[in-house]
Amino acid sequence: MKILLGTFRKDDEEYYIVQEDGVISIEMDPQDMYIANYSLAKSRDLIVVPEKSVKNGEGVFDFRYGPVTSGIGEAGVYHLYTYGERILSVEIDLSYKHRDIVKRMIGLDPEHGLKMAENICGNFAFSHSFAFSMAVESGVGKIIDSKSQRLRIIALELERIYNHLYVISQLAQAAAQKVFASHMSYLFEESLRLNKAFSGSRYLKNFNKIGGIKDFDDGKIQNLKTNIQKIVNDFRDLYDRSLVSGNFLDRLYSTTVLKVQDAVNFGITGPTLRAAGAKEDLRYEDKRYDDLKVPIRNDGDALSRMEVRAEEIFESERIILKECEKFNLDVEKSNDSNKGIGYAESPTGTIVYKVDVKNSILSDLYIVTPSFWGFNGLVNSLTGNVFTDFQFGVESFGINFADAAL
Amino acid sequence: MIFAYIALLLYTLGIVLSFKRENSYILSAIGSVFATIAGIVGTFYPFELGRIGLLPHVYMSMGVTHTSGIFMTVAAIAWIAISIYSIDYGKFYSKDMGVWLNLSILGMMIILMAKDGLTFITGWEIMTASSYLLILKHKGSFKEAFEFLAFGELSTVGLIIAFASLFLKNGNFSFTQNSGTVLFLIASTFAFIVKMGIFPFHTWLIGAHAKAPSNVSALLSAPLTLMGVYGIFMALSIMPDLHLYNFEWWGLLAVAFGAMSAFWGALQAVATKQLKALPAYSTIENNGMILAAIGISLIAAGDPSLTILSEFAITTALLLVISHTFSKSLLFLSVGHAKEALDEDNIDDLRGAWSSVGRIPALGILLSGLSFSAFPPLIGFVGEWALLESFFQSYKFQSLAARLVTTFSGIFIALAIGMAAFSMIKLAGYTALGYDHGKKAKKMRSIFMRISESFLMVLVLGFGIFAPFVVRYFGYSQFTSGLFGVPSPFLMISSIPIFGVVSPTFFAIVASVLFLFPLAFYLARRHGVRRVNSWNGGLPLEKNEYFSAPAYSAILEIVLKKIYITREKHLNGEAHIEVVDIVNVFYDALKKSVLKVESVLSSTLMNGNINAYVAYIFAIFVVIFLIAG
Amino acid sequence: MKWWPVRGITRHLTEKSSYELDSSVKPMNNIFKRSLHIYMIDVGNSNLLNFELKALQSTQYNTHRFGIYFSDSPRHSDLLIVLGKPTEKMITPLMNTIKQMPEPFGILIVEEDEVFDLKLPNVVGRLKNPEPSEILGTLLKIMGRN
Repeated sequence: MKILLGTFRKDDEEYYIVQEDGVISIEMDPQDMYIANYSLAKSRDLIVVPEKSVKNGEGVFDFRYGPVTSGIGEAGVYHLYTYGERILSVEIDLSYKHRDIVKRMIGLDPEHGLKMAENICGNFAFSHSFAFSMAVESGVGKIIDSKSQRLRIIALELERIYNHLYVISQLAQAAAQKVFASHMSYLFEESLRLNKAFSGSRYLKNFNKIGGIKDFDDGKIQNLKTNIQKIVNDFRDLYDRSLVSGNFLDRLYSTTVLKVQDAVNFGITGPTLRAAGAKEDLRYEDKRYDDLKVPIRNDGDALSRMEVRAEEIFESERIILKECEKFNLDVEKSNDSNKGIGYAESPTGTIVYKVDVKNSILSDLYIVTPSFWGFNGLVNSLTGNVFTDFQFGVESFGINFADAAL
Repeated sequence: MIFAYIALLLYTLGIVLSFKRENSYILSAIGSVFATIAGIVGTFYPFELGRIGLLPHVYMSMGVTHTSGIFMTVAAIAWIAISIYSIDYGKFYSKDMGVWLNLSILGMMIILMAKDGLTFITGWEIMTASSYLLILKHKGSFKEAFEFLAFGELSTVGLIIAFASLFLKNGNFSFTQNSGTVLFLIASTFAFIVKMGIFPFHTWLIGAHAKAPSNVSALLSAPLTLMGVYGIFMALSIMPDLHLYNFEWWGLLAVAFGAMSAFWGALQAVATKQLKALPAYSTIENNGMILAAIGISLIAAGDPSLTILSEFAITTALLLVISHTFSKSLLFLSVGHAKEALDEDNIDDLRGAWSSVGRIPALGILLSGLSFSAFPPLIGFVGEWALLESFFQSYKFQSLAARLVTTFSGIFIALAIGMAAFSMIKLAGYTALGYDHGKKAKKMRSIFMRISESFLMVLVLGFGIFAPFVVRYFGYSQFTSGLFGVPSPFLMISSIPIFGVVSPTFFAIVASVLFLFPLAFYLARRHGVRRVNSWNGGLPLEKNEYFSAPAYSAILEIVLKKIYITREKHLNGEAHIEVVDIVNVFYDALKKSVLKVESVLSSTLMNGNINAYVAYIFAIFVVIFLIAG
Repeated sequence: MKWWPVRGITRHLTEKSSYELDSSVKPMNNIFKRSLHIYMIDVGNSNLLNFELKALQSTQYNTHRFGIYFSDSPRHSDLLIVLGKPTEKMITPLMNTIKQMPEPFGILIVEEDEVFDLKLPNVVGRLKNPEPSEILGTLLKIMGRN
């Protein structure tokens, strides 16, 4: 199924960024596609409203959650319309985190642009830099050496692992599984320290450069192999124990359901879409990943999203170990044909950059982030749930205000 | 004795002189003062007002006994407050409200002084009819007034059967010792519990209180249901010796129905959104508690070793009666004041009465709400403490049936007390204490309303703090004592040997002394105080972001959706929660089937066919010939 | 799977290290030596600092043994940690939050790459792109323990 991710104008023509079966393509007039989210893609409105809003009735009021509250952590506002326990409709205000980054990036040279791209969202820093560097490099036609490509793949998977560990520990925290959450937080911190040992930065910042990764010490690979296996084996043990706890699973089962057609209509990608039932993963068609297992579930609830994330952690470990084994071999050539377009499978979905470089500075920029679409899906899946399910919906989507508001 | 005559005279004058509104209310206020004095005198020195003979051995007589003196005192104090309040409040209604108010109070006084069945029913009907007319004063209240009248007449039917049974046994209608029969007890109990609003005969209360002027609601709720309680006391007092005959079955039924009423009233009070329906359900709850207390007393009376428990349970019932009368009058009068000033009907719309309407009505709502939530040292606290003590002592009962029934009823009573606090927080918190959103109150003269509310507040607080003395006034000084640092008679005890103790007097003293420390601290450091807005996530609250009153109770309505038959209705971008009182569903079905039968019957009988009418005339002639022959 | 209590007892996850000192930080009031309640407010960072504070609450650092707790309301806290440079819309909520803090309180400013330029009362320190061990060392210095 075709998913519309964004639209941009170039030379007075409108282009559509579309994802289908793991392939990103730029189309002028997408055929056979019901463009449900076209107006949203065009407006990128920072106030996210649901399709059907229920704001009136006896006793209905706006329970404003935010912008300063310890429950969310970030600066954003959830307007929950309710007459009591039931969430009737949700409006999300992203504008408190709007830092106008796109405007500030235009006019910079690509190296400084890369630094700013990493600063859009700290926990997706490497995915952003992966996509941005790919966009710039494909625009000028630069070929990257195999070692850099393998390092980029490894770092992308490392980012995926620590983000998924974070999401699962947050879900455990919300369900008051205090022991499980404590152990998960231990693994989370260990994975951040592993990042630092591997790349020099806990969030893999300043690691990727335009043109590849230079000055990498090959001795770190052995350390990486040992530690990543330690972390993921520990996680495997904890995860198997958590699946036995009915107490925990009860909070997640059939909470904030997002069905596959709704997810596609909102431009959602990543684990949320895979948990709803669609097999969409940018790495699936990429020749550099062979024999990739894409976990799929059908229910679309918070439990499915957690299960998809857990299986992706195991898959990421397998990819990292394989890349470490083949570290000194050459990489398969990927069949990419879009100039000036870069993309990455971030832990929450597809990131796409469209970059135009003129005279060595950035002249035009368009960014697609998964959190923006994630919030649109969230407002629709939260409807009809009760207050106690709110935290699970928000945490299981894995979205961030910083990423959505740019 | 003379006081009673003066009171009756003043009420009659109040009826006659009603061309000037204020006169009739002033007269009824003064009359009620004399009625209070008559009640106090009658408690210690019972007196008779004379008798009128109708038939041989059939008299109509009035007088005040010890029990009726207590009830008269309590009721008359409520009448004083309502009358003073009506001096200002009656301006909003027509002149004849004064007439019916005086007549209604006159009827109640006759009931309290009746010493035989005929007088009793006379007073009963005067009271019911004039209350019906009073309810009609409120616009659009015909259906509710009619339902009130229907249930009132149902209780009258019960009374007629009861007094007929008296006549059959004794040849007259007088209330003398040992003159009662079992049929009398059953029929009169039925009549009185309909008047008290016990489950499942409570539906008329809700409509009548909600759709009536506020002083009438206060009158209906406090003194009118008091008549039901007095009736039960009176009926039990003329039954043959309770120690010889076993009336445990009556006690068990009373406890069961009382506890069920209390639970049901509290449950519905939690879910209601209308301003005056909440206190109405609270009335049902309190009357259920009173009935349960009387029931325990009767169960204990059958066992000679439990006389003390029986007496304590009667004390409980009397304390609950005082608590309910004063607190409910205060609640209705204060809520009515706020409602009239802001012209709103829902709890949610009446926010911020403290700043927009006035401090005194808001304090009245708050204090009466606290009293119903059993907050020490108010009178409601003492009443509910005594009720729980009576239930705790039910382990002393011998029969298994008594133990089982009281245990499970005790569970329902405890649930009712908890839910009552919840509903009172909803009412007082939203109306008296919320933000007022800039609503402006109507300008009206309210000096007498405030006098009346302050008077009741002093009583609610005073009777609570000096509750040991109230118990002594009832004549139960064995339940006051002293222990450790609390000198006699400031301590209330629930049994001899000691079972449970409480001293609201000393609680008030200790709390006041302890309060002096934070007060001194505050006065010393007043300049170091920083005032900030409430914390709401960093931004000030908009008007539509305030937590609404229906949302406060939504959690209970959703959790208990099987009992409330909760429906969450969503329609065209609008949503709300609906709850149902199941008993209403039953009565609606009953109404529908009666209407159906009536229409079928009337269309068959009066079918417009001349032959049928001729046949009816012929049949009547035949019947007359047969009877005359 | 090992029996859960055995697994818990045999693993010692809290690390024993002394945390780095930051000399530009002044200790706050003496009463916070054994207990410091912190409220963190995000005014516009890239979510990285939020993650670092979440990592600070993990078992390796075990802040509870020092008496450092994260509270849910500014009215219950002693130290306000401001994360990032405030966006335009977040300046008013930040000021409102500071007004809710009870005396004595302090503010710790944590910056990313952009410099924080507002004037705030009771600032006890500034950090730039810190790691959790740096933050913990700073907190211990503020409490007067280092």
